[in-house]
This record gives sequence, structure tokens and C-alpha cells, in this order.
Amino acid sequence: MSEAIVLPPELRLDPIVEGDVSIAGLDQHVLELIETKPPRSWYIAIAITSLMALLGFSAVGYMISTGIGTMGNNVPVVWGFLIVNFVFWVGIGHAGTLISVILLLFRQRWRNAICRIAEAVTVFAFICAMMFPAIHIGRPWLPHWLLPYPNERDLWPDFRSPLIWDVFAVFTYFSVSVFFWYLGLIPDFASLRGRVKSKIKRAIFSVLSWGWVGDARHWLQYEQAYLLLAGLTTTLALSVHSIVSMDFAASVVPGWHMTIFPPYFVVGAAFSGFAGVVLVFAFVRTTMKLENYITMRHMDLLNKMVLFLSCVMAYAYLMEGFTAWYSSNDFVRYIFVNYVFGDQWWAGCLTIFCNCLLPQLLWVPKFRRSVPIMVLVSSGVTLGMWMERYTIIILSLHRDYLPATWGIYKPTPVDWGILLGSIGIFLTLLLLFLKNIPLIAAWEVKPDIVQELARRRTSARDPERARLMETGHV
Amino acid sequence: MSEPAVYGVLALFPSAENLLTAIPKLKAGGYSEIDAYTPYPVHGLDEALDLPKSKLGILVFLMGAFGALGAFGLAWWTNAINYPLLMGGKPYNSWPAWIPVTLEGAIFFGTFTAGLGMLILFNKLPYFGHPVLGSEAMPDIMRDKFALLLKKPTDSPFDPDAAAKALRAAGGDAVEVLPEPIHEKPGAAWWARTIAAIAAACLVAAAGTVGAIKIFPTIPPMVNMENQPRLDPEMPDSFFADDRGMRMPPDGTVPRGDMPILSDSPQSGGRSLINPLPISARVLERGRHMFDLHCAVCHDRLGTGKPWLGSGYQAQPADLQSSTLRSVPDGYIYWVISQGYGPMPAHAADISPDDRWAIVRYIRALQRSQDAPEQDVRWHAIGGRKE
Repeated sequence: MSEAIVLPPELRLDPIVEGDVSIAGLDQHVLELIETKPPRSWYIAIAITSLMALLGFSAVGYMISTGIGTMGNNVPVVWGFLIVNFVFWVGIGHAGTLISVILLLFRQRWRNAICRIAEAVTVFAFICAMMFPAIHIGRPWLPHWLLPYPNERDLWPDFRSPLIWDVFAVFTYFSVSVFFWYLGLIPDFASLRGRVKSKIKRAIFSVLSWGWVGDARHWLQYEQAYLLLAGLTTTLALSVHSIVSMDFAASVVPGWHMTIFPPYFVVGAAFSGFAGVVLVFAFVRTTMKLENYITMRHMDLLNKMVLFLSCVMAYAYLMEGFTAWYSSNDFVRYIFVNYVFGDQWWAGCLTIFCNCLLPQLLWVPKFRRSVPIMVLVSSGVTLGMWMERYTIIILSLHRDYLPATWGIYKPTPVDWGILLGSIGIFLTLLLLFLKNIPLIAAWEVKPDIVQELARRRTSARDPERARLMETGHV
Repeated sequence: MSEPAVYGVLALFPSAENLLTAIPKLKAGGYSEIDAYTPYPVHGLDEALDLPKSKLGILVFLMGAFGALGAFGLAWWTNAINYPLLMGGKPYNSWPAWIPVTLEGAIFFGTFTAGLGMLILFNKLPYFGHPVLGSEAMPDIMRDKFALLLKKPTDSPFDPDAAAKALRAAGGDAVEVLPEPIHEKPGAAWWARTIAAIAAACLVAAAGTVGAIKIFPTIPPMVNMENQPRLDPEMPDSFFADDRGMRMPPDGTVPRGDMPILSDSPQSGGRSLINPLPISARVLERGRHMFDLHCAVCHDRLGTGKPWLGSGYQAQPADLQSSTLRSVPDGYIYWVISQGYGPMPAHAADISPDDRWAIVRYIRALQRSQDAPEQDVRWHAIGGRKE
């Protein structure tokens, strides 16, 4: 029997799996979901979300066939809801990488049970995010014009432009996220291969698992690849929202032209991503009966991350205000005041309330483990982060350096329809994922279960030794 | 049929610890080629089985560097060499602006090399003929069992029964003897199928690319500004009462640089209007051009008044060679061109004043060219420029 590492009590953590668990039971529980018919509520939910998605597609179709006048953006606010939604969804898409990759590098084993769903959130949020620039370019049927390819016009993209950096960053991040997600799924597809009854499904899972047999040699390379991917993807996750922020920071619009934008955007992305993930888990863990694997301790830790990032956000807002004041530029100072006291004061006020004040509830340990409170806080943060992007993009544009062009922005039903549609697409994909793909990385959680069972055996057989372990004397 | 050759003997163990204790025992029993199959990575197996350290990192580093150089090179070659772009006064080789793309290139190549290199190069996957893949124990291994395989060495004898006994002694159960996978050399038919499949895939990819780039964007409503809701010249439009798309200027509109004609008859015009243009080759050339464009249709190239339209044209255009029109002053002809005369429409709106005067000069030249006196012909014959 191998020795468990003994930590001092203040560093010792609660078990990361609870209740009646075993490694065969995990497979049974998680993989069975794929083979059985989902409950009626799943069908009702997916009907609603697909209708929302359909509404979004109709709004986009109407806008393209009629003209961009159907949306609210016009000079001077030429970046409207489409760009707000793009930045918002890219932000939501950051949690998956941060949870599965950065926590992996920090050896936080509690990430194992939640990484698969978090990565799914990343992939689906990015699918939603990438739609918006595609619509925004005006002719969505010519997206390949964004790429450097030899063409009959003999033209290349301008690599000095932050917008082309954005294309590269988002494309790389999306493809790498999908690839990382798929790589983690290979051993689970191999488990499914041996379980499913239908011949066609077995053939599909055989091909998807590349004939994985669990050879120790293969695992050695696999873990190495996983670690390398984690290191590279960490760099990527930090760079993507930095580059998105340069779309703004590299321009001269007051309120955009600030050097704190890259870190400020990355923290905001992580913040909204963690809130989004908490929201998803709050519903998934009870409806899919995953309480034993995604325990209240997981939720507690995620909520601590939300609280921490909320404080960093508050600091970033203060620094933004300081930068505005220190710039000694009347316009930049005015923009910052305009966020909170201007025509659309509610946007700035909601941002500060939802992002800085509301999460302070989570200082109370009881609230961190209360599902209604965490749903309230993370819904608030999601709304607040959307409002933050609205504030940054729209409220900065409508008061630029030329007061003669000042205007006001009013979203139209088409704008709201496209936003609602993107939420519908995200939830539809999430529901399809929950039904069809193993939603817990079984191969990563199995060692945790073995460890937990060993701990329980030790404490049953040798209470004295267990007591010493508790106090950190072994 | 002889028995299929033996690949090795497989046994299942209930836990990873059992596996780690069994391996030294089997090694002591003289078995050197041991494989382990586990549902999750078991740390310690690499030392127990003397597995070499992974070299994946070196490959990923090299490919990442390749990706970085490639992305940087792409930006540099396209923006500084192939099509130098001058943007905001920055140098062609603005390398600091290419750092983001360089970083993304490195990560893109690095990550895909890590994943695909691991699967394809180091693990030799996909491989669907692996003996363990077809074994009874495979679903158990993927779920919660741990397996050891004693492989048949290539150079020394191997007794499956003895191996099974050794595995049982080390704590394994559900012992299975796995047959050697059948490796057939691919025949001509296999090669034909493979090449046909690759060719078909290339064709589909090419057709898809052409379709996506060339054909799809031209299907309505995805038209690229060639179809615009716009009135072209002379198009009808029901918006205005007269159904014309083009608007007429209000009555009495005078173009910039034009002078209204104040005289009310050709006779008074002939008295008051004076040709401001000199007689020069340029003026005559311009007059000829405008005359051929606007006048020759009715008055004929030589001004004989025989319309090209033939007898179908009912009106009788004036004969510019007639003695009457030879004797009128320049202003008379100018007035008629501007205001019209009888069935002849006014041309003030289509022909600028200077062009009208140039036409008058040309008409004078035409008149002189017909019935020229002998003196003119002689001048011409000697190439004279007496004037």
C-alpha cells in the first residue's frame, strides 16, 4: 500500500469525491447517460433553446437580407451589440482553459471532475463568439477573406492590424480548445467502445478512440502530451483576450486607449468564465446526479475564485479611473464620469454593482455552499460582465473626441434577437453535449476515487493512524 | 489449419498496487517483455517497466519554433516583400507588430504536434488490429481492471501455459492467450482502393474549396454589390409623375459658364452674336467631331440636308449648302443650333456654347469645301497656307 502524502491540517482539504463511489460505478453512472433515453425535461429544454437559436438565425437572416439599418449601430457607435456579444462570449470561453489547464499545472486535483464540462463551455462559447465577427464583417459568406491565402486580387491581410491578430488568436484558441477537449475524450471513447450495444455506435467510438488500449507506454506519452498542451494553452489563454483587448487599446478612442486593457480583459474573461461555469454546474450537478463527483467543495472553491477575481476587477476599475484622471485629458476623464453619470448611467452602475459589490456576499462560507446564492451571484456577474462590455464599447464610442459627432445608441429588436439566439445556440449545444459525450473525464477522476477509498480503508482499519494523519503527525 | 501463432498471455489484476507488486515477480521469473494496460495512467509503472522518458517535448519545441518562424515569415514576406504595405508611416518590416501572430503560430504548431505526434508518431495509433483490442478483457481494462501481458519474445522459446501459471502466481486471473495479429501484405487491389480514395478525397476537397470560395458567394441573395437598387441613366421610374428616372432641370436653368441667348429670332441673333473662336485646326477638328455626333444624322456629313434615316424620316432638314445659309451670319446658325427651328430641336442643353461655335466654324468650312473656287483648289494643290 502506497503512503499518502500527509499535509499539515491547515492545508489539508476535504475529499474531492463523496458518498458511495467506485471506479466501476463512475463508468456506470457517467457512461450510462449516453446509452439511455433522456428524461422528458431534456426534450422540453432543448425545444426551448432550439427555438431561441432559431429566433437568432431569423434575426440574422432578416438583418442580412434587409440591411444593417435594422441594427442599432450607426455613426459614431459603429461597434454595437455584435462586438459586445463577441467579447462577452470570448470571455465566457476562458473558464474552460483556466480550469482544465492552469489548475492542472498547479496540480489542483479538484479540477479533474469539472474540467470536461468546463472545456465544453469553452468550445460552445467560442462557437457563439466566432459567429459575431462573421456577421459583423458584413458579408458572412466571405469569411476566408480574413485569412492570408494566395488570391486573384494579389492582396494579403495587414499584419500590423490588431484585427488580424484577433483572427489568428481566436482561430488558434478555438482549434486548440477543440483539440484539447477531444484528446481528453479519447480514453473515455475507448470505454464507451466496449459498452455500447449498437454496432454502428461501436464503430464510431472505435474510430474516435483511435484504437486506444490503455498501454502503459501510451499513457506515458499521453500524459506528457497533456502536460505540454497545458503549458502551451496557458500562454494561449492569457494571450487571446489580451489580443482582443488590443482591438480597442490600439485605437485612439477615449476610454479605449489604455495600457491596462490586456490584463484587465484577461481578468474579466476569467471572472465571467468562472461565473458561467458555476451557473452551469449549479444546474448540472443535481439534474444529472453528479453530487458525489462535483461536490459542494468544488462549488466552494469555484466561488472563492469568483470572489477573488471580483476583487481584482474592482481594482482594475479603480485603476481605469486613475488612468483617466492621470491622463489630464478632458475627454478621457469625461468618458469615465459618463460611464456612471451619463445618459446611459445604468450600464456603468450595473457593471460596478454586479461585478464588484454583489460577489462580496461570497465572503460568507455558508453562502459559498448555498445553491440559490451562488446562482444569484453568478447570474449577476454574467449580466454585469455583459454590461461591462456594453459600457466599454458603446459608451466610449458615443462620446469621442469630436463633440459634433456625439450620438446615442439604441438597440433594436434585431439586436436583442441575435443576442438571445446566441444564448440559445450555446444552451442547445450544451444540452446535446450532456446527452452524447461523457461529461466527466473518467480516466482523470478514477485515481481520485482510488485514493479516497484507500483513505477510508486506512481510517477504518487503523483509527489511531488516521487520527495522527488528521493532525499531521505521520 | 494450424493453431494461430501466440502473441502473448494476458491476465487481469484488481488494482494498480497488485500490478506494481506483480511486475518484479514476473521479471524475476525471466519474463522480460511485459506490457501493462490500465484504465488510467498509473504512476510508477514507467519505472517498474523501465520505460524510457518521453521525447515528445523536443519534437514540440522544434515544431513550435517552426510555427513561430513560419508565422513571422508569413507576415514579413506578405507585408514587406510580396506586397509592401505602407500603413501609418510604419516601416515595411514592422516586426514588433508581428509578435502576436508569431506567438499564435508557435502555439498552434506546438499543440497539434503534441497531440498528433503523441498519437501517431509515438503511440503508433490508430491501430485497430492490436491483439489486446480484440481480447475479452478489453472492456474491463477500460473500466476498472489492470492487465499485464507477457509478450512472446522473438528470439527465445515461449510456453503460454507456463506464462499463464506465472501470471496466476503473481495474483492475476482471467488469463487469456492472445493470438498474433494477422499481417497481410497489401495487394494491388488495396493499393488501387487507397489511391482511388485519396484521389476522391482530393477531388472533394478541391471542389469544396472552389464551391466555397468561387460559387457559393455568388448565389443570391449573397451578391457582391453587382446588384444594386439604383436608377441607371434613362431608366424609367414610376416615382415621378412623368415616369422618368432622370430629372429635367427646371425651366430657365442656365449652366455654369453659359450665357443665356437674349435675342428672340435667328435674324436678331445673327446681328448680335459674334463667333468668339478663332479659325484654327483645333477648333475645326472639334467642330467636325461635334457636327458628326449631333448634326450629321439629319443634315448629312456634308450638310446636304439628306437624312441618313432615308425616306422614313418625314421632316425635311435644312440644306446647309444652300445659298441662303451660305449668306446668313454666323450668329444666325448659332441661334438655330441653340434654340431650334421648325422641327429641329434646341441643342443648348446637349452642346456647350464653345462647341456650338466650333460647329458653326466647321459648317463654314463644309460650305467652302463644296463648290470650291479654282483658287482654293490651287492653294490646296501647292500645299499653300496663304492665310
